[in-house]
Amino acid sequence: MSAAGRGREGEWALSFHAIIFWALAAMTIVPAIGIVVSKNIVHMAFWLLGTLLGVAGLYLHMEADFLGMTQVFVYIGGINVLLLFGIMLTNREPLYVRAAVKRPAIASAVLLGVVVAVGLIQSFGATEWHTVKDAVAPGLADASAKAVVNGDGTAATLGTYLLSDYILPFEIVSILLLVVLVGAAYIARRDPEGGSA
Amino acid sequence: MESYFTFVSSVLGFEPTSLLGFVGAIAVWAVPITAFVSVVGLVSIWLERKISAHIQCRVGPMEVGPHGALQTLADGIKLLGKEDLVPAQADRILFGLAPMLVFASTFVGFAVIPFSQKAVIADLNLGIFFLAAVGSLEAIGVVMAGWSSNNKWSLFGAIRAATQVVSYEIPLGLSLLAVVVVAGSMSLNDITQAQSGWVWNWFLFRNPFMWAVFLIYFIASLAECKRAPFDLPEAESELVSGFHTEYSGMRFAIFFLAEYGAMYIVSAIAVVLFFGGWYTGIPFLDHISGSIGGTTGVVVENLIGAGTIIVKSFLLICVQMWIRWTLPRIRLDQMMDLCLKYLLPFSLVLLVAVSLWQAFQGPIDGGNSVMGMIMLAATVASLIWMRRLAGRVSKASALRRELPVVKTGL
Amino acid sequence: MATSDAIIDQVKGQFGEAVLESSTPLGFPTVCVAKDRARDILTYLRDEPGLEFDVLTDATAADGLKYPEPWDTRFQVVYHLRSSRDGKRLRVKVGVPERDCTLASVHDLWKSANWAEREIFDMFGVRFEGHPNLKRILCHHKFKGHALRKDYFIHDGQWLDEPETLLDEIGDWGENPADEGFSELVPVNLGPAHPAMHGTLRVFAKMEGETIVKAVPEIGYLHRGFEKHSETGNWTMVIPYTDRLNYCSAMLNNIGYVRTVEKMFGIEPTERCQYIRVIVGELSRIIDHCVCLGAMLVDLGALTNFWYLFNIRERIYHLLEGLCGARLTSSYARIGGMAHDLQDGFETELREILRDMPRNVSDVLGLIAKNRIFLDRTVGIGVISREDALSWGWTGPCLRATGIPYDLRKVEPYDVYADLDWDVATRDGGDVHDRAMVRFDEMIQSMRIIEQALDRMPEGPVMVEDKRVVLPEKDKVYSSIEGLMNHFVLIYDGIKVPAGEAYVPTEAANGELGFYIISDGSGRPYRIHCRAPSFYLYCAYPSLAEGNMVADAVPLLGSLNIIAGELDR
Repeated sequence: MSAAGRGREGEWALSFHAIIFWALAAMTIVPAIGIVVSKNIVHMAFWLLGTLLGVAGLYLHMEADFLGMTQVFVYIGGINVLLLFGIMLTNREPLYVRAAVKRPAIASAVLLGVVVAVGLIQSFGATEWHTVKDAVAPGLADASAKAVVNGDGTAATLGTYLLSDYILPFEIVSILLLVVLVGAAYIARRDPEGGSA
Repeated sequence: MESYFTFVSSVLGFEPTSLLGFVGAIAVWAVPITAFVSVVGLVSIWLERKISAHIQCRVGPMEVGPHGALQTLADGIKLLGKEDLVPAQADRILFGLAPMLVFASTFVGFAVIPFSQKAVIADLNLGIFFLAAVGSLEAIGVVMAGWSSNNKWSLFGAIRAATQVVSYEIPLGLSLLAVVVVAGSMSLNDITQAQSGWVWNWFLFRNPFMWAVFLIYFIASLAECKRAPFDLPEAESELVSGFHTEYSGMRFAIFFLAEYGAMYIVSAIAVVLFFGGWYTGIPFLDHISGSIGGTTGVVVENLIGAGTIIVKSFLLICVQMWIRWTLPRIRLDQMMDLCLKYLLPFSLVLLVAVSLWQAFQGPIDGGNSVMGMIMLAATVASLIWMRRLAGRVSKASALRRELPVVKTGL
Repeated sequence: MATSDAIIDQVKGQFGEAVLESSTPLGFPTVCVAKDRARDILTYLRDEPGLEFDVLTDATAADGLKYPEPWDTRFQVVYHLRSSRDGKRLRVKVGVPERDCTLASVHDLWKSANWAEREIFDMFGVRFEGHPNLKRILCHHKFKGHALRKDYFIHDGQWLDEPETLLDEIGDWGENPADEGFSELVPVNLGPAHPAMHGTLRVFAKMEGETIVKAVPEIGYLHRGFEKHSETGNWTMVIPYTDRLNYCSAMLNNIGYVRTVEKMFGIEPTERCQYIRVIVGELSRIIDHCVCLGAMLVDLGALTNFWYLFNIRERIYHLLEGLCGARLTSSYARIGGMAHDLQDGFETELREILRDMPRNVSDVLGLIAKNRIFLDRTVGIGVISREDALSWGWTGPCLRATGIPYDLRKVEPYDVYADLDWDVATRDGGDVHDRAMVRFDEMIQSMRIIEQALDRMPEGPVMVEDKRVVLPEKDKVYSSIEGLMNHFVLIYDGIKVPAGEAYVPTEAANGELGFYIISDGSGRPYRIHCRAPSFYLYCAYPSLAEGNMVADAVPLLGSLNIIAGELDR
């Protein structure tokens, strides 16, 4: 039984659980703001590291251990490094955002942000969330929640789902990634006729 | 995963509902890990010096302590006292953050490395996955160090390091997966317990492919640790000192410590995955609590376990050092070739092979032990054969060969 | 082989009046040609079948301002040519007057002329017309005056501290993204303080990723003015300076210098002296190769080999230390012989070293000879063709690695090399691997030579008995007036080398080490020029490094064994 499941509603705001949550939330939001206000592209990429770590922490906090670690493994170990790579290898000497962003661009960005935020809040509200507490109740048989409660983690359940109920989407995504990989390799390939590209 | 709340409470024996409790929990475990990382660093740096010295017909440090054992400590104190230099044009914040990030990625890994059945800080269900994930953090720390130094050699080193670490993560991960397939678990504890019993129950001898899996893991782990022949990121003859060229004093010491810590981690993982973890390979010793009994028995058993895994890990570290002082460095493109053209396809094939073997042979009762004995015998035989082969190579060495006699036409 | 006279006659027949003068001083055919026809004559000498002087061994100059008998022109530019076909040599001298201090460049005939002409420009101020990059090479770019002119005084100190940007040589960066050749090039300075740059070399490189697109070298960081310095003392005082040329094999430099002076005297050293020179020379060659191979393997990341090789070197240094009291700076040779005989126990110690050396060398080879990584890193890297190697003026192990068995010890035997049984080591690849392997082979051949020389070495004096060059024995000085006078004159005036000029090449560890000496008959050298093998090896380095990755350029440099001491002089 985790501490998360034990706190009563009234104590929520003061509990240790909350401190951790707010810390992680700050860890996610502050670097996100950093990305937006930073002028140096490389700094942006390093700010992103903080955001990604914060999100990973939130996942872990929500008992999604596999997802949290995948976040670290794929997004930080892979994507963030590749991002830095791309910036360092393609950008010329001054790594600063050169042209000042124009007003209309800011306005449309804010508009887009509001729309996305509203959509997200809407969908959060509409979704029926299965909490750990619910899972203990006899009526609900959410296997992943049970696994969490039993301390087995989510990996096994996730694996079972991916290879049974969700096999089709899983395979489609795999094939899509394969296509992307082949396409990238094709584009990056050196032209054998024209010598080194 | 048992969430860290459960974990912390099980460690502390009470439920940390306050920040104080949380900090206390961190302190209880962080201090011994720090101490252990430092000791591992001290011992392995001393070992490196001594092994390299003896390989190279030297004696190495002899003055500080018996056989120079305290030399590293003296060096550490010296580094602590050094001026903290930051290059004028460096990005000061990132420059300071980079060694911490690199060290943290190593440091966190120690939390899940088991020392014996009882002595493990966090026995995660996803232990291996966790190690792979935090290990990948190191790459970003190295890029940060290289970029913030504002030195081209550092940047070259950082880019080399990132390329190398990101690429070798794939064969490394695949070889870990092969072991997971055999063990049926990602928990380091479960994996170790699946290897209890005699030596031939170790995963290394579990099926005919495990040796190859181990070799791929070992090669990839050398690359992950940036050890020779994969020391391109700090290739001292080309890049001055690579990504840590501009670092001095304690910041450099932290990089150094992280490197040796990482060597211990990959060795300990190899020991857990392939060499029976804390098991000595002799059932009587591994279950000595049965014959001694009581608390003493448990303590002795755990001590034997901890000793075993540490000794095995250091043996592997010695192999890493042996390789470092034997082989030249490979080149960037050759490094990528090796990874993408050889290790990656081989590790994929091995994963499939191991899975198939597991599917068809696994259910056979007692088959594992028989297979293990056969494989153990085969291993010993091939080692002897390789020794003889090596002898033959040196006999045919270039010196004994006829020199080309060239007529001087002038 | 065409005789000297035949060559001279052929050139005279072709160019008539343009050949102002011809002679064969000390057996070296020499023609003096008119300045305006010099380039035509040199082209003819290179291309004419039967002559085919395809190697410009060396080019230098001399200032006749203070020469007792006045020269026709103030400066003489001196080309030393060699034919790789039959080994014949020719010296071509061109007079250049002070007023019109120019000469047509021959950098397109021989690649080696490029740097040689830059050096002449730097030291004498002769402008080579048509030279693509006529800049100072050894002196600082802000240096005023020309150091080797006789009216430049050695005490004229100049304070120079501004580094050279080299931006004029590196060329266009492809800065504009709209250009067709636009690329992401990064400027990088390799050196002068970089672990790969043995000594103090600097290479300014344009990099695309890890690949060197263009490399521009800058040398001269270790320029000490050896040639100018030599003109200030007497002939014996030059010997210690030669130690500092190739400091990895100082003995060979000593021997090279004293052989040239002996040639001008017409002195043949005693037989024992010749054997000693062979033995200490080959020992120096072994230690030089140890340094080169050790450093090159360190460049590849193989540190252990370095120690194995340095164990050999250390034992030989111990032996040489007993012989002459110094490890690096031996100063052991003297004009007319050696400073003294071998020490007691030399032979025993040397035989022990020779006994252990094969095992030490095979330890190193055992680590690399069949090492896949070593082979991948060295085979096919930095390949140079035979023609290019000759045109760049390469000699020594690097030339032999292209398959040309040019070894002065065989081609123009001196001392007792002709009597000993040994082979010239060659390889065919011309790459880093073969340059390394030739050096290993040569170490083994040197062991053979030393063993035989030890067996055959006769007893006897190590100095000639020639009162022009050798101090008389002490009891003669104290007991006879002739001895005292002789001693006094030699100490007071120094050795008086007969007036004339000579070029004597020696096979040093890196290749042909030649001393071109002009004497005016006084007790001081008038002009000493050292033809340093590293200088001509290194001028080819940028073109070899371009297109390679940094990781390859570094062992490539190691395989050339550039010693800054003789490169910068």
